Amino acid sequence: MTSLKRSFVAQAEEASGAPLLSSKVFLRSGRGRCTKVVRELYLRQDIPCSSKLCQACTYNAPTDANGKIRPFILSETPAGNKVFPNGHYLIPDTNIFLNCMDALEHKSAFYDVIVLQTVLEEVRNRSLPLYNRLRSLTKSEDKRFYVFHNDFRRETYITRNEGETINDRNDRAVRKACTWYQAHLVSSLEGSKRQVPDIVMVSDDKENLRLANEEGIKCCNIRDYINGLENPDELLDRISSSTDKTDAAATAFYAEYYSQSKITTGLKAGLLHQGPFSTSPYNFLEGSVITSSFDKPLIIQGRRNINRAVQGDIVVVEVLPKEQWKLPSARIVEEDALTKNDNPELGQAEQIETESERLALVEEARRTHNSTDENKLVPTAKVVGIVRRNWRQYVGHIDPSSVAAGRGRSQQSVFLIAMDKRIPKIRIKTRQAESLLGQRIVVTIDSWEKTSRFPSGHFVRALGELESKEAETEALLLEWDVQYRPFPQSVLDCLPKEGHEWRVPEKDSPLWKGRKDLRDLMVCSIDPPGCTDIDDALHARPLPNGNYQVGVHIADVSHFVKPGNAMDLEAASRGTTVYLVDKRIDMLPMLLGTDLCSLKPYVERFAFSVLWEMTPDAEIVSAEFTKSAIKSVEAFSYEQAQLRIDDINNQDDLTKSMRTLLDFSKKLKKRRMDAGALNLASPEVKVHTDSETSDPVDVETKQLRETNSLVEEFMLLANITVARKIYEAFPQTAMLRRHGAPPATNFEELQSQLRVRKNMDLRVESSKALADSLDTCVDPKEPFFNTLIRIMATRCMLSAEYFAAGAFAYPEFRHYGLASEIYTHFTSPIRRYADVIAHRQLAAAIEYEPVHDSLNSKSKLEGVCQNINVRHRNAQFAGRASVEYYVGQALKGKVTEQEGFVMRLMSNGFVVFVARFGIEGLIRTSDLDQPEPDATYDDTNYVLTIHDKKKPFQVALFDKVRVTVEMIKEERTGKRKIQLKLVR
Amino acid sequence: MSRYELLSPEGLRIDGRRWNDLRRVFAQMATQPSSNGSSYFEMGNTKVICTIQGPGEPTSRSKTIHDRCSISVDLNYAPFSGIDRKRRGRGDKRTVEMQTSLENTFAQAIRTTLLARSEIIISLHILSQDGSVLAACINATTLALIDAGIPLTDYLVACTSGSSSSYSTQNDEDADPLLDVNSLEENDLPCLTVATLGATDKVVLLLMENKVNVEKLEEMLAVGIDGCKTMRRILDTTVRKHGKELLEKREQLR
Repeated sequence: MTSLKRSFVAQAEEASGAPLLSSKVFLRSGRGRCTKVVRELYLRQDIPCSSKLCQACTYNAPTDANGKIRPFILSETPAGNKVFPNGHYLIPDTNIFLNCMDALEHKSAFYDVIVLQTVLEEVRNRSLPLYNRLRSLTKSEDKRFYVFHNDFRRETYITRNEGETINDRNDRAVRKACTWYQAHLVSSLEGSKRQVPDIVMVSDDKENLRLANEEGIKCCNIRDYINGLENPDELLDRISSSTDKTDAAATAFYAEYYSQSKITTGLKAGLLHQGPFSTSPYNFLEGSVITSSFDKPLIIQGRRNINRAVQGDIVVVEVLPKEQWKLPSARIVEEDALTKNDNPELGQAEQIETESERLALVEEARRTHNSTDENKLVPTAKVVGIVRRNWRQYVGHIDPSSVAAGRGRSQQSVFLIAMDKRIPKIRIKTRQAESLLGQRIVVTIDSWEKTSRFPSGHFVRALGELESKEAETEALLLEWDVQYRPFPQSVLDCLPKEGHEWRVPEKDSPLWKGRKDLRDLMVCSIDPPGCTDIDDALHARPLPNGNYQVGVHIADVSHFVKPGNAMDLEAASRGTTVYLVDKRIDMLPMLLGTDLCSLKPYVERFAFSVLWEMTPDAEIVSAEFTKSAIKSVEAFSYEQAQLRIDDINNQDDLTKSMRTLLDFSKKLKKRRMDAGALNLASPEVKVHTDSETSDPVDVETKQLRETNSLVEEFMLLANITVARKIYEAFPQTAMLRRHGAPPATNFEELQSQLRVRKNMDLRVESSKALADSLDTCVDPKEPFFNTLIRIMATRCMLSAEYFAAGAFAYPEFRHYGLASEIYTHFTSPIRRYADVIAHRQLAAAIEYEPVHDSLNSKSKLEGVCQNINVRHRNAQFAGRASVEYYVGQALKGKVTEQEGFVMRLMSNGFVVFVARFGIEGLIRTSDLDQPEPDATYDDTNYVLTIHDKKKPFQVALFDKVRVTVEMIKEERTGKRKIQLKLVR
Repeated sequence: MSRYELLSPEGLRIDGRRWNDLRRVFAQMATQPSSNGSSYFEMGNTKVICTIQGPGEPTSRSKTIHDRCSISVDLNYAPFSGIDRKRRGRGDKRTVEMQTSLENTFAQAIRTTLLARSEIIISLHILSQDGSVLAACINATTLALIDAGIPLTDYLVACTSGSSSSYSTQNDEDADPLLDVNSLEENDLPCLTVATLGATDKVVLLLMENKVNVEKLEEMLAVGIDGCKTMRRILDTTVRKHGKELLEKREQLR
């Protein structure tokens, strides 16, 4: 696409501050057509400099629609440094923001920064995430970042000269703004005794600095600037490593990526394929890419083929010739073990694949060669390009063996071992290596040059000592991207002013409009013990016609959280409440979550009720939705509720209604199961903690009671009923939840395993068939076996997701696991954002309130769905990681012998699942004996034969084995992990 | 997030205006001597020529109304007016709709009963479109009608306003209404065209083709009416200037 630009500044209409007009004409030719774009630009003089020192700008400061003036930001007494001792405002150029954002965000320095519009736009075009971070800096009140629209201000606007590149033009605009600012401050402070702050331009571009010096602008490069500050080391570590000059002479280890045009044409022609890259959790030298053109993931083996792709990147791959197709690896290859001798300093003789890595690969190749089973070969591929990097911040610790002792404060390169096993070692340069040893730290990846074996990154911050509870909790929250900072003031301002004193108003209040008074109903709630955020309450009562009225009452969160305000936006970005073992990260502020919205007993609360009329056979006659006010008579735990129902001496109304509910729930469940709902399992354990120190004491598997399923059934029913209603009202934008049917290929492996080992048949053609056949997979001697199969089957399935109704056709709405045609989340608005949306949509559907814009925009809703899907998944992972950590802590110092089941076999090890703790662990053949015994893996019969010298033995899939479970610390890397050992 | 920011958190729009800024207006009267009345009108980069034929003998019997005059509007987009070169046919539905709303609107401003059994033909040529096309057409027509000496009750002026609320990712309550939208804003935001009759603030045309929250409508309307007031002043200045020039010319001729 070529672009031709003509721009002119029109004459001033009037001298009296009336905006000047400039218009740009672009002629654009693309796709064989010529288009003309004309943009107007109004240049103005009322854009304030925003310095509190300036008098002139305060007079003509502009107001917004509510007559408010934006407060001035830059402080009267800006800080100085050694180079510019008498205080200064900083004007960084684009590259500074792109490379040093972590340093700019640091609390100790970088205050009073002017962000020029030219720079901001450039940052936006280069990197949206960095732009968002910069934007949030400008919003934060204490950092004092001010956005100055220099391209709209008459004095600082410049036009591009003929032959000037856009970058040069932007650099010139930055310099022009610097000159103007300095002159402006001098003139506005004329006559006053105040010190005029310096305007300091920060840049890394030598040419720009030279020109600035010529023009008499104070400037310096970022490293010099930081060196003039108090704590240079810490800040210097945060500068992206990409600003370092790389040695051009270094040899390339990796192949160059294909050019953009080659990738585009290749993708179009179907020669290349695109998809997300993921590393195998057992073998760091093997990854897979899921593409739309193959129904199975493509395997990518070896460092050279992986070619700098990192877990989560969207990559472009090329399929290798058929001779190179392989079996998916059945070996455990761990990075720590293979790369322990790597040197972190660059420039030394590095090999792309070390000898040991090569051996691991050769072993692989030999196995493939011997294998006769042609059909099992899987296409392999190599990465030839990266569409989008999905690099985030990684938490980990420094590999102690990579730190050279006694180097003091001099800079050295060290390796970071990420918590996530699938992330390669990251090389970082730091001056504080020794003090960072034994700390949990956060780093980011900046680049991965083809000349470097490992990606390079920079240090962001330290979380605290390894294994301290605070640091580990924060680490896992960061790792799963959970926002755990306290709610900002703007969010707390959205809370009702009455605070905890908020009461349901008198009947004459306008809030009662359209709201039903259900305060006299016998409503009660049943939740896990100790639950404070009570989302739901239930009631049932007989009607005169012999039927029953059953009601589900859900906390009326949407009454307090109005669409579009700060609290709503915060909740939307958090997406869900995250439950950790000892901590809860709320989606909504405490006041709402645990008090005003929570349907606590004995107090009146607003609710959103779903009321059904049901026949005694639990057939639904009619359903009604209404906003209401209720007063819960009791909050039960599952156990209490069960006891009360079971106690036949209790004949009061409340107990009777609970019995009715239980009775109905059983009928509902039966009907649901008959329709083919799946009864899935995931290893769930509960950690008992000491109430004082909250140190974990013991672990138990969660117990399920009838009352659990009582609540669950009615919640499912409410969700389904609401889903139908909102879909009817918003056929395009209803917030729904679907669970796609898993492709049959997902189950192939498990089916064949079951057939071979247990002679059992798993049928997967529908959820009903699967549910039925899962019921038959029973080993009479092993009650747990069925659960194990269910856990494994669950892993073959897809995950459920939120979506806007318009995104799929109706048949695709189906929820596979629940065997329901349509489903949504409505019943937990305190802890899930999807429910809040569903509440708003339902309120609009029953004409309780007008439809808000955000509910009408499909694209906006899709954005919300995407976010909450990710958040939801991350919250689950974070919760699991927390349990895992606490299980580990509970096991610390203990060695227990447990029963386990073999879940997966590999040629040099096997995975054992220990039900008691809900953990799975790897047992390598090398752990069994020294030296490592030979093992042969028979992958048709799923048997691993270990040729132990003393007594050869076999391990087969689904075998019950006895293992010792122990928490060990790996001395070399400082990683703590659960180790399983086979007891023979 | 879209490619560009229509309203920055600092309150500046994509072309450097603030929420309550009109674009540059340039207006001329009596541009085409061959017609009974004519005008040229620019709102920023939206440029319209208007010519009036009549009042005269109706072109067909069906246009004859016994107690008032009929108004026919003929709207024509120049092929080069938009971003892509495109020829719009006469029967284009949107064009027809705009013609009808212009006819109905001007029927309220022109004192039609004084001109019974005659026809006024308004032809509009859109030379360049950059948002608020209908508003520009109304303003241009008003000037041309005055030039043609057709009796009007008052100035009929129009202006547009948009709401940044559904767009802005910021706090919704802070979202400002925007006055006089350009084409980029018109594409992405809910927009309202308001036409008022002179100093009375009587709204004679209110047109919106998007969905918007009812609560936002009031402030959009208020801003739009405010814009119309300014627009009326601008038209008034133009007419007076033109009148003065005419008088001066007559003086010279004498």
